[in-house]
Amino acid sequence: MSMKRREFLKTTAGGAAAFTVLRGKAWGQAKPVRIGYTLSATGPYSVGAGITQGPNYTLWQEQANAKGGLLVKGEGRRPIEFISIDDRSEHETAVRFYEKLATDDRVDLMLPPWGTAMNFAVAPIANKYGYPLLGPTAVSNKIKDLQLPYFYALLQQPDQIMGAFAGILKELKAQGKISKIAIAYVNDLFGIELNASAATALKEAGLDVVDVKSYPLGVKDLSPVLKGFKAAGVDAFVGLTYPPDNILATSQAKEVDWNPPVWLAAVGTAFPFYRDRFKGAEGVMGIAGWNPKVKSAGAKEYFDAHVKKHQKEPDRWASAFAYASLQILERCVAEVGLDRPKIKGMVDSTEFQTVAGPIRFVKGSNVSTPGMVGQWQKGEFEIVWPKSLATGTPVVPKPAWA
Amino acid sequence: MSPTLVVDIVVGGLITGGIYALVALGLNLQYGLMRVLNVAHGEFLMMGAYLTYSLHTAWGVNPLLTLLITGPASFGAGLVLHRLLYARVLAGEAAEALESRSLLLSFGLLFVLQNAALLLWSADLKGYSYLAVPLHFLGSVFPANRLVAAAVALAVSLAFYVFLQQSFLGKAIRALMQDPEGAQLAGINLSRVHGLCFGIGIAMSAVTGSLISMLFELTPFIGLPYTVTALVVVILGGLGNVAGSLLGGLILGLVETASVYLAASDIRLIASYAVLSLILILKPSGLFGR
Amino acid sequence: MAAKLALALLVMALVAAPEILSPYYRSLALAILADVALAVSWAFFSGPSRYLSLATGAFFGAGAYLTAIVEARVPWPLPVLGGALMGGAMALLVGALALRLRGPYFAVFTFGLAELAKHSLIWYETGVTGTVGRLILAPPEPWTLYYTILCLAGLAVLTALALRRSRWGYALAGIGSDEERAETLGIDTTRVKIGTFALSAAFMGAVGAAMAPRWTYLDPQVFNPFVSFQTVIMALLGGATTVAGPIVGAVFLGLASEILLLKFRYLYLLGLGLTLIVVVLALPSGLAGLLRRSSPSPLSSPPAGERAG
Repeated sequence: MSMKRREFLKTTAGGAAAFTVLRGKAWGQAKPVRIGYTLSATGPYSVGAGITQGPNYTLWQEQANAKGGLLVKGEGRRPIEFISIDDRSEHETAVRFYEKLATDDRVDLMLPPWGTAMNFAVAPIANKYGYPLLGPTAVSNKIKDLQLPYFYALLQQPDQIMGAFAGILKELKAQGKISKIAIAYVNDLFGIELNASAATALKEAGLDVVDVKSYPLGVKDLSPVLKGFKAAGVDAFVGLTYPPDNILATSQAKEVDWNPPVWLAAVGTAFPFYRDRFKGAEGVMGIAGWNPKVKSAGAKEYFDAHVKKHQKEPDRWASAFAYASLQILERCVAEVGLDRPKIKGMVDSTEFQTVAGPIRFVKGSNVSTPGMVGQWQKGEFEIVWPKSLATGTPVVPKPAWA
Repeated sequence: MSPTLVVDIVVGGLITGGIYALVALGLNLQYGLMRVLNVAHGEFLMMGAYLTYSLHTAWGVNPLLTLLITGPASFGAGLVLHRLLYARVLAGEAAEALESRSLLLSFGLLFVLQNAALLLWSADLKGYSYLAVPLHFLGSVFPANRLVAAAVALAVSLAFYVFLQQSFLGKAIRALMQDPEGAQLAGINLSRVHGLCFGIGIAMSAVTGSLISMLFELTPFIGLPYTVTALVVVILGGLGNVAGSLLGGLILGLVETASVYLAASDIRLIASYAVLSLILILKPSGLFGR
Repeated sequence: MAAKLALALLVMALVAAPEILSPYYRSLALAILADVALAVSWAFFSGPSRYLSLATGAFFGAGAYLTAIVEARVPWPLPVLGGALMGGAMALLVGALALRLRGPYFAVFTFGLAELAKHSLIWYETGVTGTVGRLILAPPEPWTLYYTILCLAGLAVLTALALRRSRWGYALAGIGSDEERAETLGIDTTRVKIGTFALSAAFMGAVGAAMAPRWTYLDPQVFNPFVSFQTVIMALLGGATTVAGPIVGAVFLGLASEILLLKFRYLYLLGLGLTLIVVVLALPSGLAGLLRRSSPSPLSSPPAGERAG
């Protein structure tokens, strides 16, 4: 609707002045703040984009506009208008559309696309045109190689994630609950980097890894890997997975009659969908970052609002960081306005309090959020590691598959 | 090799291969008879899978019983699509133009179906558990749902094979595959048989989809890899050769499973494409091609 | 005369484009020109010979990955040349192996090759280099990429035109209509087929190498089967037996996709699919059929061998 009106105005209104006046009238209030992004609506990335990022973007927009809009320093509240485009899960298309957002639409702010590779692709554009880009779904050790001052990564990176994995496994071993660890990883950048970090972290923790297996994207059968681990007497399974292979591995573990005391996997476990798919998934562990019980201000309110708007719960890892990235932008705009270098200055120098806890960036990386491990316990993904942030205590061995 | 390993490879290979065979049969029928390279084949599989998912999760229909719905429904859809789209292109064109135009139509269908699934079911992962229990036998353990899915797939494939060998219509189809012009002279209504076969081909794909919905998570984009696998199997077994597709599917399943057990999961696709290339280099018309 | 004038104006516009256009429209032009180069080079082999190749993604991917590997260590046009050599060399190998394959057998073999290359590369990178995926941290200037691609597209069109008038062009069309007869007429079908296939693959490798910096991050997924499919769609939609056909197909599909993506966030694929279906049903000889009806020219008519055959 707003899209159509903009097009109409663009073609009919003669000058910028008329444009502004008309637009103001149309909204019945101040000129909107225009925020552009691409999120994959088609192709393989649309799965993740629709879980972790899209719902938070629209939730935040609705909440801000309900209050009369985004508070811009010195200008009062202005409604948020999104220019959202489908990048069809294709990097070149995304790059082109971010160029369009920067040079053609001249948006006020940009939000990132979904996924590490997509963020890699568009980050140079955002940097070139001076748009701070706060990525909640970019995980890679290579991010720092980019050296792009306008790009920020909110999520825990491989070393932090694997540090937490090693931490909890070390303690469980000390308690005599596990002894043999095996790792299965997906052989793309994400899995390979996690696996490399795992090797270092587990070695430092003095843990033995009895077997390491890789598998390709789109794998259709993991039972050979699982049967091998079972035969080797593995009691702690570590899966460095994406959601589809995570779900496949979980189903197949039950189907080959294997229930190791520790089942710890990467992406996907924190999805409410995963819990519902496996009848509670009691005792399953995974990468965590957040749940509605954490102490950060607004966590519960955010959870309720997400459920109310989308009829689904936010995931327990990256969703809250996607929302947090918007809270950060919101606060910056309120304090320094839409001057982007000033926004960048503030992002660089401030510790932000968000629904996902405190966030502070050093050289573009969030240094305030440690790696965390969560475990599904009675319907909630309790944070069980590190102890300082824990909302529950680990249950090991996990109960039988439901 | 330990006996358990042999059992793992053979049974695992047959499980994978049975599903490959069924999805390939449908494609082979369409290409063998009409020279229609239906790249949207996997999209019909995806639609069948979603239909079963919805029937099972919304109304509690047993996934296996949904075959009785997805099969006929997709057969009907195939008849309609043939009448609306392919029959127009197939009528009267030179063979070469026909192949490229029907290929473009199939690409068009592929996009339309993906978008329809996106609108109906969204891009979120969808899945359910059915017969997700272990079955112990021959010293190893296998998922009950995979065994059932493969058994049904093989049964449907074999039933179709028998139908081709025994029934009048089946014989007409075989005659057309071997010699379109001669068969037409013998009084076979070409367009009607084409429509039927297109429908049967799509029904086979959708039925395969219903079966695999018990095993994997669904998204609107799961179809293409199955089209590719089906193509590989069809080429491996020989175009227009129904028994070839059956055997080709089982062989590919065994090759992939063996490579995973004996080497690694990463090797699976390398092995299957290497075998395909090797066979084609040695035998350019497929294993059982004429 | 009018046609020549229009052509001259078009070339001037394309050359001046980076100065006139905003970065977004320059990028759109770049993407479409890359598709033109792919579709034209696909069609000058597959069109007349009727060997449907699905290896475009493999050659494109090889070129792109090469750029990512050599990255900033090599001055600019060299990765593109390297990509061309790589694509050409791969095609010579495939061509030699796939010599006896016809129709869908050739199509599936070439597709399999792309997948084999991708999965072998993943396996190699995982097992040997221990990392998968590379960053291109110092990409060439946008205008450098634009002119590189413009040159490749122009060269592809010139090659296609030259081929049609050459003996090789006639031989290819002869192979397309009846390979055995062509052989009995004394045509060295092997050399003609493999030679043209390699030439077309060289363009694809070069385009991949030239487009790689646009991604910033590349991993073996750049061996994307969709590149192969899209090239086939563009060429067939326009009409693969003409030179204008693939150009029209690429421009049409590029613009149609862009408009659909920008205007209909949730209906892009539906719009694209319906567009394909409507064009196929309404225009039996492709988009270029429209051109041919209005103005016969060497650009838009099928080669002589075809008319005879």
